[in-house]
Amino acid sequence: MVKKKSQKQKIVLPPELPPEVAEDEIEVSDEDLQFVNENQDYAGFVSGLDTQSITKHVSRVADVKEDALEALYEKRLKKKSLQKELEESKLQVDPVDALPVKTLDGKLYYRTVTKASTTSENNVNEEGETGGDDKDDAVDKSIVKLTKVERRAKLKKSKREAKKQGKEMDRTEEEQTPHATVLAEVKKDLTAEEAFESKKRKLAELGIALLSNPESNIKSLKEFLQICEDNDHAIVKLGLLSLLAVFKDIIPGYRIRLPTEKELEMKVSKDVKKLRYFESTLLSSYKVYLQMLSALENQTSFQQVAIRCICTLLDAASHFNFRESLIGIVVRNISSPDDVIRRLCCSTIKSLFTNEGKHGGEATVEAVRLIADRVKAYDCQLHPDSVEVFLSLSFDEDLRRAEKADEKNKFKNKKNKKRKSPEEPSQLQDNGRKKSKKELMAKIREEVSADYKAVAFTPDISEKRRMQSETLSAVFETYFRILKHAMQPTAARSEANASLSAGGSGSHPLLAPCLKGLGKFSHLIDIDFMGDLIAYLRRLSSAGSTSDNNSGKCAKFLTVSERLRCCIVAFKVMRSNLDALNVDLQDFFVQLYNLVLEYRPGRDQGEVLTEALKMMLCDDRHHDMQKAAAFVKRLATFSLCFGSAESMAALVTLKHILQKNIKCRNLLENDAGGGSVSGSIAKYQPYATDPNLSGALASVLWELNLLSKHYHPAISTLASSISIMNVANNQVYLSNVSPIQAFTDLSLERESFDPPSDVKKPNSKRKGASDSSVSASIESSLETSSIDEDKVREKLSAHFKLLHDIKENQRLRGELEHATSSLQLHEEYKQQKRKASMPKSKKTVK
Amino acid sequence: MRPLDEKETTIVFEKLFKFTGNNLKNIVENPSHEGPDANPGRYCFRLHKNKVYYVSESLVKRATNIARANLVSLGTCIGKFTHGGNFHLTSQALGILAANAKHKVWLKPTSEMSFLYGNHVLKGGLGRITENIAPGDGVVVFSMSDVPLGFGIAAKSTQDCRKLDPNGNVVLHQADIGEYLRMEDEL
Repeated sequence: MVKKKSQKQKIVLPPELPPEVAEDEIEVSDEDLQFVNENQDYAGFVSGLDTQSITKHVSRVADVKEDALEALYEKRLKKKSLQKELEESKLQVDPVDALPVKTLDGKLYYRTVTKASTTSENNVNEEGETGGDDKDDAVDKSIVKLTKVERRAKLKKSKREAKKQGKEMDRTEEEQTPHATVLAEVKKDLTAEEAFESKKRKLAELGIALLSNPESNIKSLKEFLQICEDNDHAIVKLGLLSLLAVFKDIIPGYRIRLPTEKELEMKVSKDVKKLRYFESTLLSSYKVYLQMLSALENQTSFQQVAIRCICTLLDAASHFNFRESLIGIVVRNISSPDDVIRRLCCSTIKSLFTNEGKHGGEATVEAVRLIADRVKAYDCQLHPDSVEVFLSLSFDEDLRRAEKADEKNKFKNKKNKKRKSPEEPSQLQDNGRKKSKKELMAKIREEVSADYKAVAFTPDISEKRRMQSETLSAVFETYFRILKHAMQPTAARSEANASLSAGGSGSHPLLAPCLKGLGKFSHLIDIDFMGDLIAYLRRLSSAGSTSDNNSGKCAKFLTVSERLRCCIVAFKVMRSNLDALNVDLQDFFVQLYNLVLEYRPGRDQGEVLTEALKMMLCDDRHHDMQKAAAFVKRLATFSLCFGSAESMAALVTLKHILQKNIKCRNLLENDAGGGSVSGSIAKYQPYATDPNLSGALASVLWELNLLSKHYHPAISTLASSISIMNVANNQVYLSNVSPIQAFTDLSLERESFDPPSDVKKPNSKRKGASDSSVSASIESSLETSSIDEDKVREKLSAHFKLLHDIKENQRLRGELEHATSSLQLHEEYKQQKRKASMPKSKKTVK
Repeated sequence: MRPLDEKETTIVFEKLFKFTGNNLKNIVENPSHEGPDANPGRYCFRLHKNKVYYVSESLVKRATNIARANLVSLGTCIGKFTHGGNFHLTSQALGILAANAKHKVWLKPTSEMSFLYGNHVLKGGLGRITENIAPGDGVVVFSMSDVPLGFGIAAKSTQDCRKLDPNGNVVLHQADIGEYLRMEDEL
């Protein structure tokens, strides 16, 4: 149908062309004629010339000419202005096609192709539709009436010719081929576009019909599915997406259970039959759709669309049938290398976890189980996102408590009953009637509650508990597997420390999310696991320490942030499980003490460090004096070395410690030695690895004095406030700021502080220094920037002048010394010469 | 007064190692600033009348001037060998142990007195405990304000302590500073 139409269209245009071609021929000059006459031999080839292909070849050049020609043509044939519109469309027609073709029965007719008007698809389509009737007339006009048979024959012939052309072109030069293929494509495009359009329309119609009345139009789902099996990728994609929309809308809020044979045999009303038909059709087509999706998911061109469909479906219909396969596919793609797909899958799983009400938690269990299996299968070599989704899990802690409360109540009741029972016999006779009444009441109450439960649609608590414990066990299984896996390389390394290039910090992609998750769910860990967990964490956190006697190779196997995180997790686990027993995690303190020195601002995450500081130093209730002093000293040293945000966090922590440990304020005294409190170590040992053995109490916090001259006003004020802490007892302000908060505040401020270029960095920092106000807000810093720069320039110039002076001084002094020494030498030489009167070969220095 | 022989040294060091772990190195290598010598000497262990003393080298040199019968004590007594050849740490060793302790236990103020009278440390009196204690490890007992009170042997691991009832023993008493009053004569 469509093809025919286009073919007909071709026939519409030709009549205008021949004159143009004729004119072309007329313009042959005399010289040419002469030349041909002179060289008759050469002219021989003309007869054998494939004019068609040549013109095709030349057509590009001819295009240029065409304009001029056209002008001529227009001048001459102004009267033909009527046909101008047609001409315009004709402009795009290739001269090739303008050549007349002689049919078998000796009639001429002109073939044209409307050139790829791809830009105006709509036009074509409109033409295709509206122009249908007109065409026939046009055909009648242009060609002497043809019978249907003749027309068909003609069509065939033209096709054959087209084929022949194609063959010829293949044989001829390469330059020709693109042109021909373009032509062929144009033809195809034309038809394809129309087909595409019609299919699109079909999809839309079907979709609308389905949405408007799903029950009666459920059959059209199958048509839909057929369209989706099209060859055209775009159509398939469109079909999939529109099917997705349809399914999303018509999937019922319950799980469909197909009727059993027995049920089918039973007689049912019309409505039920209809409903059954609807359900079964929906289910079967849904199944087909899912199969299609899962098949397409493996093809790269469809992957994104398929995954998008699957994710949306899972999100929307997590309660519906075939959920398992959906979850399976999503989990499979959760660690896909493609960012878009991975993010989609992760967000879907997360929403699955957070919206448990939809599917009653079963899907959560399934998904978690699948992820756990996947982690196991891939030996923990997955993208971190795949475990990070666990973080959005939520566990209802009230479940267990409620149960316990119930038990308690029961127990109490029993007790009461027991207690009452001895009394009751005496009363029994008296109020036997009363008792029977009571019993009746209780019975009724029970019945009512049972009914209520049945109606209330609340999921069974025990069932929910079971699912939750299953989820938890899967999650922790995964976490422990990851931890264990992180341990293994150490052993492998110490045995065969070469040939393991896969190691390095990248070898444990899952460790960071795993530690995060452990921290989050630490209160749910069974106490029995805790010993092992802490042991693992201890080994992990000390895995990088250089004091390991294995080798330095171990040092690189966990990053500082990862080790810090291990410490944090250990503390979290301890804290959330220990209300009764206060356990001192000495080893982790040692780790932190050493890690503080290994921290590098760019490489490691400052947030983790500050969290560790808060967790381990601020929140902990009690510290040894030695340890606290050692940390105070180390933090002060640390804050000297790094950026304002880090040092602020360190200072805040330091202040916390000093406030809690009054004895440590000896560090603030201007008296080294520490007196009697300094313990057995009489001298501060900055390189000690154990905070207890560093003897920090014997030192003085001279760092604070330097820090009070810090360029950042907040830090300098804090430092000076700490240094007068011993004298002034009002230590209220700033005590409620946590190091994390301080860090984020300052790091944010720093971002706004710093212009993007690195060159200006020092300037902007100086800015803060000259800005005496404590709260250096962004606006004020922007306002004062111009003034500050002058000040900075002044200060810098003064500074460098001083430096220069010092250098000059040194140089002069050096010269002076040199001169005096040479003078002395000269003197000595003279004396010796005089005394010994013997010439020496020794030469004076310079 | 004589240096410890090899067997005695191993016994003493094993005992100390129980309490200090790898910090034993610090005890042995601790520089002593006693005496007029410019460069600090080391501490060493000396056996005198079945008692083991932790003495600085300079003091040892000077002590050689005193006849063995007349020498009552020198340096810090850290323990004694029993007739059976076992080595017992005494409460004077607390200073060294506390500084280098690996496992620590902090007592609540209410249970301090009980410990100082020579009783074991109960779970109920536990204020704080170091992680990772195994049963049989040496534990130094502190008050909540970090004053060393004595030492003993762990009866339970830290993990087990959690599940222990409040009357269970956590640390078995070995020595405490109350002995300075209670057993003044023996020391």
